[in-house]
Amino acid sequence: MTKKRILLVDDEKSLTTLLKLNLEETGNYDVRVENWPEDALAAAREFKPDLILLDIIMPRLPGGNVAALIDADPALKGTPIVFLTAAVRKWQVEDNDGIICEHPCLAKPATVEEVVAMIEKHARK
Amino acid sequence: MDNKPIQLLLVEDNPADVRLLRELLKEISGSSFVLTVASRMSEAQAKLAAASFDVVVTDLSLPDSRDLASYRNLRMVAPAVPVIVLSGVDDESLAASAVREGAQDYLFKTGLDAHILGRAIRHAIERHVAEQKLIRSEAFYHSLVEHLPQNIFRKDLKERFTFANQRFCQLLGKSLEEIIGKTDFDFYPPALAAKFQQDDREVINTGRIFETIEENVAPDGEKIYVHVVKTPIRDADGRVLGTQCIFWDMTAQKRFELELQRKNDELEASEAALRKSNEDLKSAQMQLIQAEKMESIGTLAAGVAHEVKNPLAILQMGINYLSKKVPAGDESIAMVLQEMREAITRADSITRGLLDFAASKQLTVKSEDFNQLISDTLKMVRHELNKKRVELVKDLAESLPKVAVEKTQIQQVFVNIFVNAVHAMPEGGTLTVRTYCQQMTETTHSEGSRSSAHLWVGDTVVVAEVEDTGTGIPQEHLAKIFDPFFTTKPTGVGTGLGLPVSRKIVELHGGTIDIKNKPDGKGVRVTVRLQVRRENS
Repeated sequence: MTKKRILLVDDEKSLTTLLKLNLEETGNYDVRVENWPEDALAAAREFKPDLILLDIIMPRLPGGNVAALIDADPALKGTPIVFLTAAVRKWQVEDNDGIICEHPCLAKPATVEEVVAMIEKHARK
Repeated sequence: MDNKPIQLLLVEDNPADVRLLRELLKEISGSSFVLTVASRMSEAQAKLAAASFDVVVTDLSLPDSRDLASYRNLRMVAPAVPVIVLSGVDDESLAASAVREGAQDYLFKTGLDAHILGRAIRHAIERHVAEQKLIRSEAFYHSLVEHLPQNIFRKDLKERFTFANQRFCQLLGKSLEEIIGKTDFDFYPPALAAKFQQDDREVINTGRIFETIEENVAPDGEKIYVHVVKTPIRDADGRVLGTQCIFWDMTAQKRFELELQRKNDELEASEAALRKSNEDLKSAQMQLIQAEKMESIGTLAAGVAHEVKNPLAILQMGINYLSKKVPAGDESIAMVLQEMREAITRADSITRGLLDFAASKQLTVKSEDFNQLISDTLKMVRHELNKKRVELVKDLAESLPKVAVEKTQIQQVFVNIFVNAVHAMPEGGTLTVRTYCQQMTETTHSEGSRSSAHLWVGDTVVVAEVEDTGTGIPQEHLAKIFDPFFTTKPTGVGTGLGLPVSRKIVELHGGTIDIKNKPDGKGVRVTVRLQVRRENS
């Protein structure tokens, strides 16, 4: 079975490093990290992820804008995006059926199990 | 007095009589005389005008004046000097007439001796002095009675007027003659007259002074106030003969007093209003200051919470990773990781509390049974109660109106309150939960609240009172219990956010929360009031 390709975009280097470690530890995912939001689009075009985990509050280019760029890109159209952010709280996510800004959303801090569940639910099959 | 010679003017044209008198005067013992003689009326008048005499002795038959005219002529010039008339046997009736007109005495020239003359002179002078005193005294009192600004009258035992001064006559618009012999019923309305006479009877029966300030009616019908003093009139033996009344109008004074009282009342009322608004202002200012404080804390809290979440997420990931790398059977590393996991959970719950506090969340309210909500919440903390051997007393009112609340939020409030109560009773105790419905009789507002949540007079509220039997809250802590991060509990037990968040939630529901030590000093009472809104509002 092929590993799912996950693009992880977050300006927190420590978080991306650890999340990548955790996800790869499962043996089910191939994870690429991008710490600079401006580079996310190019990385996505190259990596062709099955799902993008996207932070919202990042310097210079917020996650919402990154998502809009990806949605608008013909080559990437339809790529699932999951927001992973400290800007929302769990009850806000729950109240909105998990969808914020037209994308599923996961509040930080989340456990690896929660992230995996999110990926499994939304990643391109 | 006897040493002083008596100045005597003898008016007599008969030299023989003058001689006789001069001889007799010398014989009078105990008195000495300075004798001046006038042989004509004109001469006598001139002498009386020029010098002062103690007594005048006069013949009425003079070359330039005769009979009673002689006496009157003297009187005219010297009204204050006593006069003794010398009379012949043939004109005694004339002499008696002179006495009736004011002469002190008359003496017959025939048979006149020193003894009679001396006594007559002495008596004339003394009597005259007494008379003058009496006249002066009467003039004095008359003047007083007629010129005092008071109304004065007297009545006999049958309530008939026996005297009235001019002022009273003027007041009634009657002459003295029209008043004397009449009673109050002739001048006043029957009820008033009866009242006056009753007062008189009291004076007569008790013999005591009666004094009052009463309403009266002026003859023009105007209502006036008078100060009245009634005294009994007694005869020499002390028997009461009637009453004397003095009264005076004090309407102006009374009106002034009433006006003063009214002004004073107004002043007091406006002072009270001023004091009240001053207190309101002070309280509003305190709330404003507190609100500012809360607002900045809220902003700060939201920022801090957000910034803490990312590091927490990193730690979470790190622990997740390490957990999978723990060699099987290494209990100590597993234990360390578990402790760290719990620490993260705790930190996360604090940041969540902070954000709850800082947020102004929209509520999704539903109509809820308040008692049911309380009972459900009590079930959530039952384990805590049992562990600390806290006895639960439920006193829930029957058929409470429903309240529009977001159940989970209000439950969070009561969980906080119940847990606080349990923490206050580490050695066990009693937790009393009481609910009832009430109509507000005063307007309340949580001090320091930034919301405009108010309960107004007349609002119907359901009330929950939660009482513990713990140690109470020290006075110096009472003002701070709603401040974020204020806690007296050990780290890990209290976040210092329970009550601020609880209050926030209650206020979002338009209610109030109030925490006080119980009056008996044994524990704390928390009162939560939630407004009962009409359907669909």
